[in-house]
Formats: sequence, C-alpha cells, structure tokens
Amino acid sequence: MTGVLRPEFDAELKAGLAVVGGMFPPTITPDLIPFMRTSYASQPIDELLEQRGIERQDVVVPGHLGDPIEVSVLRSRTAVGPRPGVLYAHSGGLMFGDRFSGLDLVLDWVDQLGVVMVTVEYRLAPEHPDPYPREDMYAALTWTADHADELGLRADRLLVAGASAGGGLAAGLALAARDRGGPPLCGQVLDYPMLDDRGTTPSTGQFDGVGVWDRISNETGWDALLGDARGGSDVSPYAAPARASDLTGLPPAFVDVGAAEIFRDEAIAYADALWRAGGDAELHVWSGAFHACDIFAPHTVVGQSMIAARDAWVAKVLGD
Amino acid sequence: MQELLGRIARLDPSASLGLRVIACFDELVVGRVNTRALLAAAASLAGCPAGFHQDRPARQVRVDPRGRVLPAAPGTPGRDSPLAHPDGATAFEPAPGLCVWLERDGEPLANDAIILERLALAVRIRQGLGHRDLDHRRELGLLVDADVGEEERCVAATAIGLDPHRRYRVAAAPLFAVWGTHPSGPEDVVATRHGPLHALVVPEEFGHLDASPAGLGVATDVAHLNHSFRTAVVALQLADPPTTPSVRADDYGGLVGLLADAAPDAHQPDADLLEDVAGHPWGRATLEAVLRSSSVRQAARTAGVHHSTMQSRVDSITETLGWDPFDGFGRTRLGTAYLVWRLRHSRVLDLPAPT
Repeated sequence: MTGVLRPEFDAELKAGLAVVGGMFPPTITPDLIPFMRTSYASQPIDELLEQRGIERQDVVVPGHLGDPIEVSVLRSRTAVGPRPGVLYAHSGGLMFGDRFSGLDLVLDWVDQLGVVMVTVEYRLAPEHPDPYPREDMYAALTWTADHADELGLRADRLLVAGASAGGGLAAGLALAARDRGGPPLCGQVLDYPMLDDRGTTPSTGQFDGVGVWDRISNETGWDALLGDARGGSDVSPYAAPARASDLTGLPPAFVDVGAAEIFRDEAIAYADALWRAGGDAELHVWSGAFHACDIFAPHTVVGQSMIAARDAWVAKVLGD
Repeated sequence: MQELLGRIARLDPSASLGLRVIACFDELVVGRVNTRALLAAAASLAGCPAGFHQDRPARQVRVDPRGRVLPAAPGTPGRDSPLAHPDGATAFEPAPGLCVWLERDGEPLANDAIILERLALAVRIRQGLGHRDLDHRRELGLLVDADVGEEERCVAATAIGLDPHRRYRVAAAPLFAVWGTHPSGPEDVVATRHGPLHALVVPEEFGHLDASPAGLGVATDVAHLNHSFRTAVVALQLADPPTTPSVRADDYGGLVGLLADAAPDAHQPDADLLEDVAGHPWGRATLEAVLRSSSVRQAARTAGVHHSTMQSRVDSITETLGWDPFDGFGRTRLGTAYLVWRLRHSRVLDLPAPT
C-alpha cells in the first residue's frame, strides 16, 4: 500500500483517531460485525434528552411487509403547534448502530428549531438484506406522514436525513418517494452518504487501513446488504442511489463529506448529478476530514464547522 | 472523546487509556495545533471544561468538551479561583506564569492526571517554552529513531536514565495490547509507519515479555536502540495470538535485523511466489513443517501427514517457486520469503475482535 497519494488528515482529527481507533477500527471485515455491534451501540440517551428539554415517545409502527419496527419520536417540551418534521436514518454501515447512534448531533434541530424528529430502528444487514433497511425507512416515512396531525408535525415541511449508511438510505428514500408518489419532502440531508456499491472511485482506493471506514469496510457493508449482487448489473438505484439515472424532481439536497474519506468522490458526483438534472444541492467537502469525524470529534474546528454548516441549511429549509 | 474512552474501557477493561491520551496529544503537538485546539482535546477527553492562563501577556482561554470557547473566569483558576479542585489535582503549572486546569465537579477521574500532564506539556511547547529545537518528540521517540543523529540519541538515552555502559532491549506493542505483568522501564508512545506503538526499554537480561501481542527487540548498546526497536516491531508483527502472543527477535537471529532494515516496498520476488503456495489449504502448515525439518520425511512427521502427501506438496512448492526448498540455499530463501510473507499478511496490529 505504499505510494498511494492521499490528502492528509487535519491535525486535530488525526489526534482524535488515536482514540477513535480503539472502538472503530479502520478496516471492518465480516468477523468484526459482532464487535462493532457492541462498540457502536448507542449509550443511554435519556439523561441528555432530559437536560435538553426533549421528550421521547417510543412507538411500534409497521415496517417492511408490515413487520413491527420501533421508532422514537423526539420533540421539544416547549414546542407548540404543528412543527417541521425530520425522519432520521442512523449511521453504522447498514450492519450496526441503532436509532440513537450519532443522534446528539441533530438534537439541535429538535431543541432549537422545534423539529419533531422520528428516528427509526430499521432492520440491519446481513440478517435483513436489501430491501429491508430502506423499506423499513419508507414504511416509517408513510407512517409519519399519515400520522402528521397526531404527531403535531406539518406534513408540508418534512425532511429526510441520515448519516453514512443512513445518508444512503435517505437518498434512496427520496428517490422512492418521488417514484411512488409518496409523501412530499422539502429536503434531504445526506451526511457523508454511502451511495455506491461499485467501489470504483479513486477516493475508495486512497484510504486503505487508515481513518474510519475504508474500502474493505465498505465492501463488508455492501456485501451484507446486497450479497452476490454487489457491483453487478442488477442493483436497484434505491439501494445504491449512485446508480440512479434520473435525478430530476428530487427535493433540495444538503451533501457533506470529508476530503480524506472514501465517500468523497461519490458524494461529489451525486451533488453534481443533482445539479445537472436541474436540482438544488448544497455540497460541502471538508478539508482533512475523515468519515463521520463530526460524530467522533465534534470538539474540533472541522467537526464544529461541519455541524454549523449543516444546521444553518436545515434552519433555512425547516425553520419557522 | 470521554465517551469514546468509556466505550474502549467497556470493550476491554485492561486497555491502557493513558497511552491513547498520550498518542492523542503527540499528534496534536506534531500537527502544531493552537492552544484552543489543545484545550478542546483535553476537555473532550475529560468530559469537562479545560482552561489555560498565562501571566504575561495576561491571557485566559477556557474551552468546553464540545470545543466551544467559554467566557473568561475571574482570577487565575488553579491558584486563586474556586474553578479548580482545591487540592491542585486538576491544575498544573508547566512553567512559571503558565497554568492549565480541568474544571471537574467533584473528585478527579482516573485519566485526569495524564490528560492534564500531556495538556501542560503540549501547551508549554505551543507557547514556545518547550524544546528549543523544532523537533517536539520526547526522548524515547528520539532514542529509537534512526533518522536522529547518534549523539542526540545518546543524550536522549541519558535523559531517560539509561546507563551508557549497559545493553538494553526495546519492546514494542500496539496500544490495545493486553499486559500480564508490566515491566518497569522508560516507556512512551512512538509514531511509526504502522501507527502509534507502545515502546518500552528493558535490560538485556530481561526474560519473558508477558503481553499480547508484543515483540521484544535484540539487545544493543544505547546508541543502537533504534535498531532494537525496529527488530521489536518485526517481532511484534510475527506474533500470532493466542498461540504466539509475543515473539523475541533473538529467535530469528540476524534475519530479523535484515527484515527490519528492508524498505517497506522492497522487491521480494520469492515472497510474491509464496502467495500461490499459501493459497492452498495446506500451504501455511506445510511451509512451517518444511522450515522446521531437514528432509521431506521429517517434514511429513512434523505436519502429521503421510510421506507421499508431503512429497507431492513439496513437489508442488518446488514447481511454484522454481527451486527446491531442501536444496542448497533453498531453505534459506524459503525461510526469508516466508517471514516476508508473514509480515505482509500480519493482522496483529489490527484491533482484535472480542472473544
């Protein structure tokens, strides 16, 4: 692996990797899935919600094929009247994490913008391969829109958001909602999204064995979701939105990604494809940023900048 | 990052979080980040605000665990302010007129001392009060670095208390290594091309290295401990827990020294050929048996297979390699190629899955 040119990690973030590497190794092979399910499981969140004046309501809703799945509805105690809504898909490579993983970053939307957040316990691969994760998300989307009144949210101001694998799911949801005449969406937040199962971009080959989520980890994730179909000609654009040939008629997109991560090229390509299709996209490529560095190292200048840029866009789209 | 440290501790109660704190600040110092960033890292690692004060020119910075700058507090925390713990455990004066602290409610936590110590060192260097030269690495890092001149390495050896008339070995282990008994001796986190490694200096006569995974370098005088460290890293990569948790470089004699000094991208055609041999289900076990035997018959006994089975495998190996592993330099070539292959495929520095 010598001789591979790649952008350096930001100094603060590189220091953060000395800690992150202890619970999130750069290279995740299938035998590490049980480890990751332990290490990336969310910590108890109720104390944090209490401090921030956010109430949590857990609801069992129909998922893919009507199977029961759990969602949590989060809303500010002080919010009144119909509020904007966000459907959130968590990170974790489609194989691990839960509906509270990385959620602290988007709680600002709940307590500062008064958003009603629905975060979904979509089922995970490889036990539940494609289309389970996304169709669980889609079922949660229709449930949310159908129950807008009782949830106290405005059906005309509903946004989908997700990070990493969840960003890929959010992009797939937006495509599916367009094609099926599903609930209208006012935006899609795609944080360092996992969009392309083919693994052929230059950035995919630049970060073997370093940072967070390298080429091998990505293959592990897509294998879990798609099995033998990965990289072949038979992958649905809903599963791998990079394969979508028609990106017209989609809601405005916010796309952010690190310059020092494998998803850089596919995120840039997706934003570019949205523009070429006449769509609205805001793209941020953060210098020196490894994958999901805002989740792991929110204290850094890069992490703070990422969070602030995203929050500003969401406030623009959803704010009163 | 306090939450991440907590996760690591829950995953592996024996993990050395202190070494991760050290590695984190090492990167910050190497990356020449500013005081705010140093305080943000300390606050994030500790899970409480961190602060800095200097007398001249008067300046105070306080940062919370999310990296946000907090308003200045009255007085000089750590000295005459109630912000810091009264027994001084959460404040540190790295130089006259300079103070750093953690604003911990209640008793200090286990990692507070190491966080504060490393923050103090890093702030001192950032403020121009540390090393006079531009190389901010600490003594052990200098001692094991071949690019540092011999005189400077000997000065570093003296600074960490090594006797110039004695011989020592360097042990190398990843930060996640599990230590049975932890030998006493100068130790630190050292940056390598394999990432940060735990380096520890022990006397020549040191016996068994009770850590997994770990490697123990060859014995050298203090001027050549850089070589000992490189052999320790090779030995570490040859470790194969749980069957072989730690490896002594001495077991491979001069061979490990050659491997230690080979360029990472050195052309190794014999090792390339071994990829095909190792692809066979019987590949690795057969290679091990051949290397530990002087004849096909003995190799068959070692591997526990019939003589004719071993003969056909050796024939297959001979055909793939283009030379007979039992003939002339064949065994030497095979042994060298096998070790290079092992190093190429070593996963010992990857974080292990839970057992």
